[in-house]
Amino acid sequence: MTDDSWDGGDETEADLVPLYVLVNGRTAPRNTDLDLATQVIALPGAHVRLEPVYRQLVDLCADWISVAEIGAHLHRPLTLTKVMVDVLVEQGVLGLGAPAQDTGDDRDLLLAVLAGLERL
Amino acid sequence: MNGERRSAKVVVAGGFGTGKTTFVGAVSEIPPLTTEERLTAAGVGVDDLTGLDEKGTTTVALDFGRITVSPEVVLYLFGTPGQDRFWFVWDELAQGAIGAVVLADTRRLDSSFPAVDYFERRKVPFVVAVNRFFGECRYSADEIRAAMELPPEVPLTFCDARERESARDALVRLVRHALSTVVT
Ligand SMILES: Nc1nc2c(ncn2[C@@H]2O[C@H](COP(=O)(O)OP(=O)(O)OP(=O)(O)O)[C@@H](O)[C@H]2O)c(=O)[nH]1
Ligand SMILES: [Mg+2]
Repeated sequence: MTDDSWDGGDETEADLVPLYVLVNGRTAPRNTDLDLATQVIALPGAHVRLEPVYRQLVDLCADWISVAEIGAHLHRPLTLTKVMVDVLVEQGVLGLGAPAQDTGDDRDLLLAVLAGLERL
Repeated sequence: MNGERRSAKVVVAGGFGTGKTTFVGAVSEIPPLTTEERLTAAGVGVDDLTGLDEKGTTTVALDFGRITVSPEVVLYLFGTPGQDRFWFVWDELAQGAIGAVVLADTRRLDSSFPAVDYFERRKVPFVVAVNRFFGECRYSADEIRAAMELPPEVPLTFCDARERESARDALVRLVRHALSTVVT
C-alpha cells in the first residue's frame, strides 16, 4: 500500500474539520481515547458547583451513557460534548468506561456482542 | 478510571438512500437518536461554548441506535452521513469499530462503492447487505459480487432493512466475520 491516507476520492472538500471550540482553555479533549461510544457515568459524592450547562450534562449521567447520546440529548455538537465530558472527568465528576478502541480483548468483546445479538 | 462498562461500535454505511437509518431503527432498542458534528474550513475557530456561529459551518447529522448485549457491553450502531464527502466523520466512526455493514441497493450499486473502498483500505471488517427494496432481488449474489468487485472473503447477504430479524442477521454475519479475522 503506497498511500495510507484516504483522499476522499474526487471530492475537493477534504479540508473540512470539526469546528474548533474553546472550552475552559481547551479546543480538543486531552483524553484522546474519548470516543463517541465511550461510556460515561456520574461519580457519587462529587458535589462541586457546576455551571448550568455542565449540571445538565451530569444529570444525564446518573446511569451509564455514551458521549453520542449526551450530545444528542443536549443538542450539542460532538466535539463540544467531548470537551465538556473531558473537563468533568478531570474534575472527578464523571467516570469513564473502557474506551471503544481498547483492543486488548477483541475476541471477548466480539463473543459478547455475538451472544447478545443471537439472543435478540 | 476504567470501569467494567464497555461499548462496541458498528458502522452502517452505504450510498444515499440505501436504508441505513431504517436498518439502525429496526434493531435499536431505543428510537434512533441524532447527534451532530459541526465542520468548518480548517483553521477557523470559535472561542466560547455558546458562540457557535452558524456561519461557514456545515452540520453533519449522524443517526445512531443502541443494543445492550450484556450488562457490561453496549453495542452502538452508527449510520454514516448520507453524503460521502465527510471523510473526517467516517474516520471517527470507523476508529475502533468492530466492523461495518455496507448496505447496497441493486438499482444503484455504484452508490455503495465508496463505502466498500473505504473499509477495504482501512482494513475494517465489513459485510455487504443487499437491501431488498422490492422483495425478490433480480440479481444473483455472484452477479452482485462481480459488479461490486468484492473480494471473496467479504460476506454478501440479502436483507430487508425494515425487519428487525433481518437486520439482526446481517449484524450476526458481520460479527462472525470479524471474529474470523481476529488472530488468536
Ligand atoms: N421497500 C423497502 N423500502 C425501504 C427498505 N429500506 C428502506 N426503505 C425505504 O427507503 C427510504 C430510504 O431509507 P433510509 O433508511 O432513510 O435510507 P438512508 O440510507 O438512511 O438514507 P440517507 O441517510 O438519506 O442516505 C425510506 O423511505 C425507507 O422507508 C426496504 O428494505 N424495503
Ligand atoms: Mg439516513
